[in-house]
Amino acid sequence: MARGVRGPVSLRLRVRLLVLVIAPCPQPVGAASLLPTTISAMSKQLSFKLVLLGESAVGKSSLVLRFVKDQFDDYRESTIGAAFLTQIVTLDDGSTIKFEIWDTAGQERYKSLAPMYYRNANCAVVVYDITQSASLDKARTWIRELQRQADPSIIIALCGNKSDLEARRQVTKEEAQKYAEEEGLLWTETSAKSGEGVTEIFNTIARKLPTSPPPGARGATTSASRAAPGANGAPRGVDLNKQPNAAGGGDACNC
Amino acid sequence: MEHTRPSLRTSAAPRSRSRSHTPSPSARHFPRLLHSSMSYSSLPSSAGVAPTVPTAPALPPHLSVAVAHDPSLPSSSSSSSVSGIELGENGSSSSGGMIMNTEVDVGTVDVEPDFKPPEGDAKKALREQLRRSLSKREAASDPSQRYQPKREPTEIDELESPSFDAFPVRQYFVLTNAGKPVFMSRRSPSDASTNDDRTNIMGIMQAIVSVFADDGDKIRCINAGRTRITFLLRSPLYYVCVSSWREPESVTRTHLEYLHLQILSVITASQLAKIFERRTNFDLRRLLGGTETFLHSFIEQLEFDLGISNASLCALKMDPVVRANIAEILVPPKELKDVLYVALVSSGLVVTLVRPKKHSIHPADLHILLNTLSSPSLASTPISWLPICLPKFDPNKFLHAYMSHLEEEVPNGSDGENTDGIAVRLAIMIPDKDGFERVRQWAGSVAEALSSSGLLESIASACRAHAYLPMDIGIPGLRHFVYKSRSLVQITMPAWAKPYDELDSRRRLVTLYQTLHDVLHARSGQPQGPLKLQYIRTDKESVMGWVTHPFELYLAMSPGLPKSAVVGAANAIARWIKREEGKLFLRDAPVF
Repeated sequence: MARGVRGPVSLRLRVRLLVLVIAPCPQPVGAASLLPTTISAMSKQLSFKLVLLGESAVGKSSLVLRFVKDQFDDYRESTIGAAFLTQIVTLDDGSTIKFEIWDTAGQERYKSLAPMYYRNANCAVVVYDITQSASLDKARTWIRELQRQADPSIIIALCGNKSDLEARRQVTKEEAQKYAEEEGLLWTETSAKSGEGVTEIFNTIARKLPTSPPPGARGATTSASRAAPGANGAPRGVDLNKQPNAAGGGDACNC
Repeated sequence: MEHTRPSLRTSAAPRSRSRSHTPSPSARHFPRLLHSSMSYSSLPSSAGVAPTVPTAPALPPHLSVAVAHDPSLPSSSSSSSVSGIELGENGSSSSGGMIMNTEVDVGTVDVEPDFKPPEGDAKKALREQLRRSLSKREAASDPSQRYQPKREPTEIDELESPSFDAFPVRQYFVLTNAGKPVFMSRRSPSDASTNDDRTNIMGIMQAIVSVFADDGDKIRCINAGRTRITFLLRSPLYYVCVSSWREPESVTRTHLEYLHLQILSVITASQLAKIFERRTNFDLRRLLGGTETFLHSFIEQLEFDLGISNASLCALKMDPVVRANIAEILVPPKELKDVLYVALVSSGLVVTLVRPKKHSIHPADLHILLNTLSSPSLASTPISWLPICLPKFDPNKFLHAYMSHLEEEVPNGSDGENTDGIAVRLAIMIPDKDGFERVRQWAGSVAEALSSSGLLESIASACRAHAYLPMDIGIPGLRHFVYKSRSLVQITMPAWAKPYDELDSRRRLVTLYQTLHDVLHARSGQPQGPLKLQYIRTDKESVMGWVTHPFELYLAMSPGLPKSAVVGAANAIARWIKREEGKLFLRDAPVF
């Protein structure tokens, strides 16, 4: 795997992130010495837990790899269990938030573990493969489960991956978009391979997350148990393709 | 959980219908091995071919094998030097040790001891057919297999054929007791069979198993010339290996057992039983999706991994003080008292293992963990959290593993020659599935401590310096050896040097080692019971295995040397190890 690509800078970042996460979040992080230089000037940073769900082989790990490292592997082994990654996103107002990402394995045997990952999640990206209509059915199942079981304030994005494989498309944009609007989900199509739409979906989610510190001490021990006010994400069912591009969002990290 | 010794069990079953007519090939030939012990040096080794494995169905006449019981071999002077060696306490099989001493106990986890193959009317005809054809072949081929010298020339021809033929890729199959395919190993490039063919083969395997099961019997293996088809029945799953390497049957069974344990690490024994209770026809591939890589990588590893064949672990060679410093950092704090093990691994070698006082780690569990850790999927993710069942710890429960990469902080402006791809992996096992946040916080501080104290860099340099060559010991003619400390349940061995840099030579040597191990531990049920010393000479090398109280030693020397030189070398190695053991082995790792 593209391990050799990593340069010294990202190595440093990795270690520092490990150190960073010790603090119970969300909490302002003022320790400038621990932060990569580009964001060290920031005075506050919130952490949000994001979970990726979807059938196996739809490209969840590839999406995350594109988002976190801006890389793509043509061949990836299936994820085992769940991978935990972090990425920092700069918002339009210059503030930053940190995503703590759970990239879950799509295999059936891990199904029963999913609640552990989405239980306290602030946001979920449910991924399907536009070339496999069955994967959209699976995505629907996940969304139903999230709506029933997850925190009611969870922001759910439906994401049709592999948009570069237009010739093999089985799921039309209209079908998916209509479903997303009915359910009040964010929706977009992405290509982890070309990078199209990837930063945008994460940035859109980032903008919809509550920026004020959470009321009360609920879940102070975990970073993710933000009780976001339900009204916060008011206009649901946004078509990301019609939105202005999230300028500069992807440059937040010096990876 | 039932621990069995496969070879013992099968040889004890008088009704065993294995096509090998005696409990096992090596047992069958054992009397001959003994007879030849007096004349090992005069036997011609000039047949022009290497008799690869002496326990093959037909023992080539030019093979020189000697067996000697302890007192006869080491000269009195050298044996006294050996008796001076003391490697710690002996009662290592007690749970007080870091790693469980299992010796011959590869162990089995019987999911469902009762063997009940599904019945079907249509199968009856097939079964009858099989029964007829199997007995016919037995009648036709067995005498020649056992006694007829006529077979020898063809066997020699096989051995003389190009090297890629000598060790054809072993084939592994896993199927359900209903005949559904679960897993197939990769084919060799020359194998023209399609996947359909192989699926059909599994149907036949299931039928063969059920023929014997009808009589309340379990098939162990079929010997067909050079090729042996070994069956391991762990209902609801059957494991089959087709091998022409002539390794002892016990070795193949160990391999199959490990595949079984690896599957149990993904789907626990109780889950398996439950699934197949409900639906005997279940297609397990759906549940195993994505774990084929574990099995493929295990199969690759089983070819050469002497740690697995000796049921021991292989530690990274390093300064004991540095190792102790690292281990100190890895002792979990009070809040994490429920942690089961903490392992630090680099390049597949164990740096250190920290465990609670009351648990020893079973080597099989450790190999499962190491194999899982080496999977490319985990290698490409900085932090993973996954359920894993360590079947020797508890075959019915999942533990949760936090696995992360520790990478060195590269100081700005340094020329960056330090870590060059040496990955250090931290694995923390905990029973609590919601323990991730707790573990992550601590793991972060461990990473920070290891990195800031420079210990991570020490590990990387130890990795680079780990390998040593047989020449380094300074024993003329020594080509390779494996030394197992029985009390520490660890092995050490030099890097593969000439001629074993070549894969087929290495396969030949590993198979010889396995043969020695099999005979020394009487794993094929030889009437003499376990032995202390075993010497085998082929025209490619002479190998000797030696079991003492504190250690086991297997060594390979140039074939031209006299036996006394081999014995002398064995003593010299034991002395060398004694001097180096502080670095070679992991000792006194902290417990909590």
